Order: sequence, then C-alpha cells, then structure tokens
Amino acid sequence: MTALILTFLKIGAAAYGGGWTIVGVIKASVVDKGWLSPEAFADLIAIAQVTPGPVALNTATLVGFRLYGFWGALLATLAVVTVPLTVSYIITILAHGHIRSGGKLTEALKTGTIGLIAMTVWSFAPQAALSWATLALSVAAFLASAFTRINPLWIILGSGTLGAVARVLF
Amino acid sequence: MNPREAGRGPESAAPAPGFLSVFSLFFGISALTIGGGYVMVPVIQRAVEKKGWLPEAEFYDLFAAAQSVPGPMALNAATFVGGKVAGIKGFIAGATGILLPPFIAILLVSSLIGAAGEHPLLRGFLDGAFAVVPGLVAALGLNMVRKRAWKKRRALLTLLGSIALILAGPWAVPVFFIIIALSRLAEGRGA
Repeated sequence: MTALILTFLKIGAAAYGGGWTIVGVIKASVVDKGWLSPEAFADLIAIAQVTPGPVALNTATLVGFRLYGFWGALLATLAVVTVPLTVSYIITILAHGHIRSGGKLTEALKTGTIGLIAMTVWSFAPQAALSWATLALSVAAFLASAFTRINPLWIILGSGTLGAVARVLF
Repeated sequence: MNPREAGRGPESAAPAPGFLSVFSLFFGISALTIGGGYVMVPVIQRAVEKKGWLPEAEFYDLFAAAQSVPGPMALNAATFVGGKVAGIKGFIAGATGILLPPFIAILLVSSLIGAAGEHPLLRGFLDGAFAVVPGLVAALGLNMVRKRAWKKRRALLTLLGSIALILAGPWAVPVFFIIIALSRLAEGRGA
C-alpha cells in the first residue's frame, strides 16, 4: 500500500499537459512492477475513458480500487492530486496568480510533455496492433481526431459499440 | 459615479460566491462531462462566464497559469477559478467538486462490472473502447507538435527526450525531470 501511494505521488508530480500524457507513465509503473497484467490495465483504461472525470485521476482511482479496494482507491486518488493541489495552492492563494505564464519554462515543459505522449503511444501500440480490426480502429481514431473536430467521446463510444457488436456476431 | 467604481471589473461587481455555489458548479460539470480535460475546460469557461464570475479573457489568462502546474487540467482549472473568485474556500470547493463525482462513479462502475463478469457485450465494448487509445493519444501529440514554434535545438531535444522516455520504463518520472532541466538550460542559452 505504501508503494502504491508513493508511486502515485510521483506520477502526480510529473503529470504536465493534462491526463493522457501520464497514462503511459502509470502503465510503466503499474504493469512493469507486476501489479496488474497488460490486459487488466487495458480494461481499466477503457473504463476510465467512459467514466466522468479526468482520465488520469480515474485511472489512479481504478488501479487503487483494483489492488486494495475502497481504501486503495481513496489513497491512490489523494496521492495523485497531492502535488498538483499543493502547487496550485501556492500559486493561486499565496502568489495571487502572479506567476508569469509562457516563457522558457513553458517551452521546456512542452519538450518533456511531447516525450511523455510519445511514451504513452509507444507503450499502447503493440496491444492495439494485435489484430487487423483493432489496428484499423486505432488508425481511424487517429485520423478523425487529428483532422476533424469530432468530440473524442463519440470516437470512444462508437468504437466500443462496434467492439460489442463484433463480439456478439463473430 | 466615482472613478473607482467605474473601474471595477465584473467579478467585483457581484458579491464573491460562497463555498456551496462554487462546489455545486464544479460538481455538476465533473459529474456530467465525460472525456477528460479537453472536453471539460471549455465547459468550465462558459459556465463561469455565464455566472458573471470571470470574463473569457481573464479565464484564459488563469488557464495559461494553471497549465504550468502538474495534474489533470480540469482539476487545475477548477482550483484556479475557485481560488480567484472566492479565495481559500473557493479553492477547496473547486477541488472537492471536481474530485468527488468521478470517485463515486468509479466505485459504482467497478462494482457493476465486477458483477457483470465476462459478458461478451461488455468484453467487446471494453476491447473496442481501448483500441482507439493509441490513435487518440497520437492525435493529441500531433496537435502539440503542429502548434509549437520549432527551432533546431528544441526539435533535437524533443526527439532525444522522447526516445529516452520510451526506454525509461519505471524510471520515466526522474528522466522526465532531467529532460525538463536540460531543455530549460538549452532555452536559456538563446536556442
């Protein structure tokens, strides 16, 4: 349980650029340590996507719940938000929001964030490329999301529905 | 009308909202918006503008500052807005409002899915919903790459940083901070 808390404390500190960037890091921490199988983690991600709330947060809650039940869920969630809330508190309440946005630190963070995204894509690609059908779905989702303004939620729900229909028919 | 009153912004014209009104706004948004930060942030912006708490331009200034903080974007947007319009009680109201609904939803969904077991419809839905993840995240990455102002040193560092993170596995967090430190130094030298 202590290892779980420390892991999510650390993950929260690096969660720049929104939830999706950090999902690859969560996977590396949780699956490589043997806490969950890649298949079980894939299920958690699928559930996190279609549950209300930020994806990184949902993933932390789910991993905690899966490993240690209610208390695991509570502690993993609190751990992942500890660093973000502390930093926000310092900036908004103590510094009254007078922190310069933009500039050199922002550019340095972008460099790291793009790296985290590359890591996330890399770590999930082999599982999505397991069959021609999942590969086609992933490529279609990429094209739709990169070149149209379709809400990602419809892509996720649509693909889930296709998966359910395919499973029942074949 | 004296000049001080004429210069007042819209957020000081109305009395500061209380804990419950900030909490219930963010609780509602968090409970009803599926799809993470990219969907939630514009919803938060429209809601606080409609309430007369913050004009649009001020929201996006605040949001730019919120992005320099790690953590889910929707959570940071809520704590920054809450802190701005109602101080410390607004900060707490924003954080708890965003955090509670998904927590409750996940406990419910996990118990339901546990009960449904390996039903083929559910199995197929989860497989299908997961299959799009690499594609969606790659599209997110492409958008970041397209929006960025590229210089030689920046591009090289981004490429090397991506490779280092892919190789890092469980060491990703320390490697991430080393990359940030190195690229901060490189930016500082007029890259």
